[in-house]
Amino acid sequence: MTILNVNTLPVNDNINPYAFSVDVVKDYIVRKGKMIAYYGNLRFEALGSNIIDMIVANSFNAPAYGGDYIVVTGRGKLVVGDNGNHINSYDLENANMTIKAANLLAYEPTLTCEECVTPGYVTLLGTGKMLASSNGMVHFMEPPVRVDPDALLGWADCPTPSFHHDYAYVRNALSLGASMMGLSTSGEEKQINFTGQGTVIIQSSEVGLKGSGLLQEILNDMNHLQHTEMLTLKSILEQRLNQNR
Amino acid sequence: MTRYTRINETLVQADLNGSEELYAKKGSMLAYTGDVQFQGAFLAGGSIQTAAMRQVTNEGLQLMKAHGRGSVLYGYHGLLVNIIPLGGERLYVESDYVLAFDHQIRAGTEFLGNQGGVGGMVRGAMAGQGLFTTTLDGYGDVVILSSGDLIELQVDASRPVFVDPQAYVGHKGHLTTQIHTDVSWKTFVGQSSGESFQFKFTGQGTVYVQADER
Repeated sequence: MTILNVNTLPVNDNINPYAFSVDVVKDYIVRKGKMIAYYGNLRFEALGSNIIDMIVANSFNAPAYGGDYIVVTGRGKLVVGDNGNHINSYDLENANMTIKAANLLAYEPTLTCEECVTPGYVTLLGTGKMLASSNGMVHFMEPPVRVDPDALLGWADCPTPSFHHDYAYVRNALSLGASMMGLSTSGEEKQINFTGQGTVIIQSSEVGLKGSGLLQEILNDMNHLQHTEMLTLKSILEQRLNQNR
Repeated sequence: MTRYTRINETLVQADLNGSEELYAKKGSMLAYTGDVQFQGAFLAGGSIQTAAMRQVTNEGLQLMKAHGRGSVLYGYHGLLVNIIPLGGERLYVESDYVLAFDHQIRAGTEFLGNQGGVGGMVRGAMAGQGLFTTTLDGYGDVVILSSGDLIELQVDASRPVFVDPQAYVGHKGHLTTQIHTDVSWKTFVGQSSGESFQFKFTGQGTVYVQADER
């Protein structure tokens, strides 16, 4: 085992599959709570303070996820990790990459982060480096391809994807009363369909992020809920909690 | 001294020659060959006082003693195994991550972090999150667990290191621990950076971290 210090830590590279060393020279946008260790003089600021807003004015455009990210300022080496998930870096060049919001770990503010029309995803535009975590190693595919929504990590330069449902599922959904009986589903009836030119990024597992990742994902999705839907969710949670007692 | 061999990432073999004993985490014995006896070990090389301290501080090392002649395989929940040799120095490690150590090594408990002031205040905020840590002292090998590869970070006079308490596994050497905080007014109006306090290590030594914030 090699002992690492500020000079021997990799520069913007993986330390091992699960940890990444970021060379902070300017500012960096990092997901909250993913710092493992650092050398140097770094500060962690929430999005929303005046000075920080000037830095990231053009690079963060996704208010639904604003609470999830912080700005790292200063100079030093920052080690990030994500609950033992794999970490990959992507160098974007004048690119357009969409990624599951829960998996976006860090990016340079030279990129602009915007909310994607597909719920739960964000789109990064421009040139710069970004880090994303995945459950297992990532795999790249070219359209046409259909992907399990849980296994999908993101896509680059593709036209917007669409949902594809199995014929049996559609028939059930359309037939009156089926929804009341509860649809019998195989769990494979809904895929995301990609067409055209581009790259699709898949993770080698369909369990999603392990640990706190699932909760994070649910909390992210809750941003899209209306008041009445939240009340429904509340009653379901209460019911479940009572059952488990 | 017990000889430990790393069979693979998550499996370690301990060879006992009859005169040796070792302590290992309860429930981590996977298989053994030869004539080896196992028994619960409450004291684990320390006094009744240190054992009581472990219970109070939640650094409750649940250990089994193995002695005899043979080979024992140890592994725990698919976590990675790391062998750290001790040459008389003190290793500070979270009790959850201790897999096995030689019986010549003494186990104790110590408070990590400075007391009072902001540190004392922050203590409440991180209840249950190892501000007390287990110490292992002496000569011999220690096997510790990690989730993902263990990262070994060097600390010397010109290079302090800041560590997320949740990713912290252990440290070794002449190090001073402080709780470093950048709690500002924004934290109190609810816009926390999520990295409000870290352990700051200064001095000369090595800090072990893992890519898992638990």
